[in-house]
Amino acid sequence: MPGADKETELSERIESFLSELKRCGSGSGSLRGSVETARETSSLLRRITAQARWSSAGELMEIIRKEGRRMTAAQPSETTVGNMIRRVLKIIREEYARSRGSSEEADQQESLHKLLTSGGSSEDNFRQHFAHLKANVIEAINELLTELEGTTDNISMQALEHIHSNEVIMTIGRSRTVEAFLKDAARKRKFHVIVAECAPFCLGHEMATSLSKEDIETTVIPDAAIFAVMSRVNKVIIGTQTVLANGGLRAVNGTHTLALAAKHHSTPLIVCAPMFKLSPQFPNEDDTFHKFVSPHEVLPFTEGEILSKVNAHCPVFDYVPPELITLFISNIGGHAPSYIYRLMSELYHPEDHEL
Amino acid sequence: MEERELVEYFRGQIREDPDVASAVAAIRSLLEFLKRDQSETILGLRENMTQAIHRLQEADPSVAVSSGGELFLRFISLTSLEHPDLSQCKNVMIERGELFLKKISLSRGKVGKLCHTFIKDGAKILTHSSSRVVLKVLENAAADNKRFTVKLMAEKLRKLSIPVTVVLDAAVGYILEKVDLVIVGAEGVVESGGVINKIGTYQMAVCSKAHNKPFYVVAESFKFVRLYPLNQQDVPDRFKYKADVLKTAEDLNQEHPLIDYTPSSLITLLFTDLGVLTPSAVSDELIKLYL
Repeated sequence: MPGADKETELSERIESFLSELKRCGSGSGSLRGSVETARETSSLLRRITAQARWSSAGELMEIIRKEGRRMTAAQPSETTVGNMIRRVLKIIREEYARSRGSSEEADQQESLHKLLTSGGSSEDNFRQHFAHLKANVIEAINELLTELEGTTDNISMQALEHIHSNEVIMTIGRSRTVEAFLKDAARKRKFHVIVAECAPFCLGHEMATSLSKEDIETTVIPDAAIFAVMSRVNKVIIGTQTVLANGGLRAVNGTHTLALAAKHHSTPLIVCAPMFKLSPQFPNEDDTFHKFVSPHEVLPFTEGEILSKVNAHCPVFDYVPPELITLFISNIGGHAPSYIYRLMSELYHPEDHEL
Repeated sequence: MEERELVEYFRGQIREDPDVASAVAAIRSLLEFLKRDQSETILGLRENMTQAIHRLQEADPSVAVSSGGELFLRFISLTSLEHPDLSQCKNVMIERGELFLKKISLSRGKVGKLCHTFIKDGAKILTHSSSRVVLKVLENAAADNKRFTVKLMAEKLRKLSIPVTVVLDAAVGYILEKVDLVIVGAEGVVESGGVINKIGTYQMAVCSKAHNKPFYVVAESFKFVRLYPLNQQDVPDRFKYKADVLKTAEDLNQEHPLIDYTPSSLITLLFTDLGVLTPSAVSDELIKLYL
């Protein structure tokens, strides 16, 4: 039966996505960039919308939430997956409100004003059925996918405003966004880049090779030299894995050191992060915040004698508090860290913060 | 309704239910005043209301009563704009007022639920004076089996079998190195995201900033006030001192103030029933209300 075939195909795709997520957790950061993960998640959600059985918006949201919980449980540190799910849930709510023709508009948040003026129960059960809801939601998800395609370009377009001639820029590790940013600026300006190698995975080396291919003068330094070199640096530009709800970052380990050194020398710290990396989490969950991988990079198994006497850790991420960050550059422009709460309220609905 | 009756009703509310927030009691009394009010026009109603709020503020000078009163006044203005006819307007107001009261009595529970994930197992918490909201937060956290020690709170915590140590105000700097986080309540939250609270809160905030400990404030949303103090002197006198002191004292500089102002730069996060807010988000919320 074609119906059952489609369903099994859909669940197969979901299963393979989940197992890929679980696998890519080990080793050097992510085997795929965050844009690809975001794109895969969105196309998967589009498929679910198209092929799963649902008759009302409420049911669709339940299905997506259920799948979403499984996906985030597979790899909790990959927050892009959760962010995309929340975006899609917000899309569904908006399309539903639009189909109802109600003037719910953007004021879906709790506010004092709402408390005072709401006449009765403002509970919206999303039970009504609308014929065009499916088409509208799929179209909106397509728009989301187009937006995802353009994020790196939108960010690189702003490069010329921030990088000037003969500047010394410092970065850490390898971020595809920062790479594109610097390469775009290099077409018109001449500047010098210092890359901290970011032990133990040393992705900084790849970044340096890639940048030098575009004729950018690059220097690689070990992480311990960050503070020593900082006095000669004009700007620090970094990428990040996640932007947290308080404006802080969850970035590759070593970033906090870099941020503290920059603060000490009053060097501006610029973070290039596309909007889909914005997550409504706060840095309080100790158990899900950090990810540890095998410490064989730190202390190889060949050093057998020491291993039994010593504890070795290899954390993947660092927390950077919002006070150390100067500017966020995203695909919709530049923002101060204190403005993040506003961007969050536009992207996600507060009830979706907990999937 | 006589103004004396109003104040009696207000005091009665607080006596019956000592756990209720003073702003909620104020709003309840104002709603009762509204029900019994005899004015013929909306303007008359507003004037009576304004006088009633002043009377209540004299009876209880706390910031919370002031913010509750202002919110109620705003509530009346908004409703009267929609329904120009007085009797219909009054019915709608009473209905909405009851609903509003119901919602804000749940707000403490909401705040408690939001905040307890920030308290880790085995955490040591410092708090200041007696705040019912903080108590609710700690209750929720205790229900989740997190152990913690708390300084400077009342017998109520001992009843919840949370290990408590009482510490002098002067010893805050001394004890801060052992503490993991600081949680305080608020009497009022001002537009800049700062808070007004019992005297001694400001120095606790400054010390926790020096020690790099997170400083959390828990407050319900009806405590947001339209004030923007730039320093301690800017806080209006009617909040700082009791009403009888204001009337009888010759030189206010000799009197001890009851509250102080903690600027937003010292606060890490605010937990309200509108969600977890950074201090910069507070003014946004206030604009949404008063626009």
